[in-house]
Amino acid sequence: MKNFLQFYTVWGSKDYLLGGIFITLQVMALSYVIAFMIGLLVWSLRISKRRFLNIPAGIYVEVCRNTPTLVQLIWIFYCLPYIIGIDLNPILSSIIALAITVGAYMSEDFRAGILAVDKGQIEAARSLGMSYRQAMQKIVIPQALRILIPPLMNHAVSLMKWSSLVSVLGVADLTYRAQVLSSQTFRPIEIFTSIGAVYFIMSMTLSYIVRYWERQWAMKY
Amino acid sequence: MEESKIMVKVERVNKFYKKLHVLRDIDMEVRRGEVTVLIGASGSGKTTLLRCMNHLETINSGRILVDGEPIGCWANEKGVLCKDPERILNRKRSQIGMVFQRFNLFSHLTVLENVMLALTTVKKMQKEEAREIAIQQLKHVGLPDKIDSYPSRLSGGQQQRVAIARSLAMQPKLMLFDEPTSALDPELVGEVLETITNLAKEGMTMIVVTHEMGFARELAHQMLFLHDGVILEQGTPEEILNNPKFERTKAFLGKIL
Repeated sequence: MKNFLQFYTVWGSKDYLLGGIFITLQVMALSYVIAFMIGLLVWSLRISKRRFLNIPAGIYVEVCRNTPTLVQLIWIFYCLPYIIGIDLNPILSSIIALAITVGAYMSEDFRAGILAVDKGQIEAARSLGMSYRQAMQKIVIPQALRILIPPLMNHAVSLMKWSSLVSVLGVADLTYRAQVLSSQTFRPIEIFTSIGAVYFIMSMTLSYIVRYWERQWAMKY
Repeated sequence: MEESKIMVKVERVNKFYKKLHVLRDIDMEVRRGEVTVLIGASGSGKTTLLRCMNHLETINSGRILVDGEPIGCWANEKGVLCKDPERILNRKRSQIGMVFQRFNLFSHLTVLENVMLALTTVKKMQKEEAREIAIQQLKHVGLPDKIDSYPSRLSGGQQQRVAIARSLAMQPKLMLFDEPTSALDPELVGEVLETITNLAKEGMTMIVVTHEMGFARELAHQMLFLHDGVILEQGTPEEILNNPKFERTKAFLGKIL
């Protein structure tokens, strides 16, 4: 029992782990922003009437949704340099890989969000003489974004958790550093309990902030 | 010069939903400054006919002239279907007001913003000018103190009056009403009908789909009874309500009066 639950081992390496948290947040934030842009792009390709645009976009979404994220991550790390001819460092290819995956899910959400906007809103806009584009910009997209807050928040939380996968590529994120520490100190229980708690607190904080913000917004209308 | 008295002229219009023939060779005319009421059972095509008049629905043959210009798409002399480019269609639509059964106010915008939006985006007005017009229109429908509310805070009757103000702000030459009071609680119907009545007295050309027969009798210059996509009867409200020619009309009136 004497050797059990020595959390001070973890506390002693807190600076090392904090650095990992920083990298985790960095990977998450950057891939989220890129995923959002990919999501918008793929969504606009998918609703296009031109088949050479919407079919590849559809294939992309299905491939991303039906293969494991870890496999995608490793695949992109090894294959993307061949495809684009540029060597990528692990952190960059991790960010790209996560963005590509989450972007596929986001594009599906954008589609659902836009469809969820009442058709009557578009009809009212068009009957006033607004163009399709104006109706989208002024009416549909603002209302869809409101509908999309919960799924978009879920993606942020998913990304935070999926970002732990980048440790397999040697990116020194929180999970990677936890593995290093536990092999040095033979204290996996304490270390992984602690970083689990850290992930939990970060995800919950994020959810709460978004929900609070959503409620403030919902109060308006 | 006879033609200029006509605001809407519908010529042999047919409309299909897949195989369903919803409008069959419709011919009708609406004179400038007059109120036309469309009645008929649900599924008779009256709402579809109204929606064809600003091209929310596409017609399959014939044409609809609004103030002498065909709208949306139409067959030319050779029978080829022509289509308005979007820019032209938008200009034509901006001159036709439409009021929907379910109000369709922009739910993320305040009452004032609802009325201003088309002025700034379609008519490219400055904000201040649009604001002035919007406030004036909201006063006109009796809602000057609600300008900063969101639609969800308003009663159905108030929402519909805002929707009317939103259309009127564009200074339309024609107003289309698609069952404007059907989604309202009974005690709220009066305020909306009053607004529409005032508009009629100001000489607005209007086409109204409604089941409010008292209102129709009082205001309509012309009444059309649609049945299965055909205009079965046409005349003044007195003619149709007091002496319907067809059994179908009698049966319909018997149910709703």
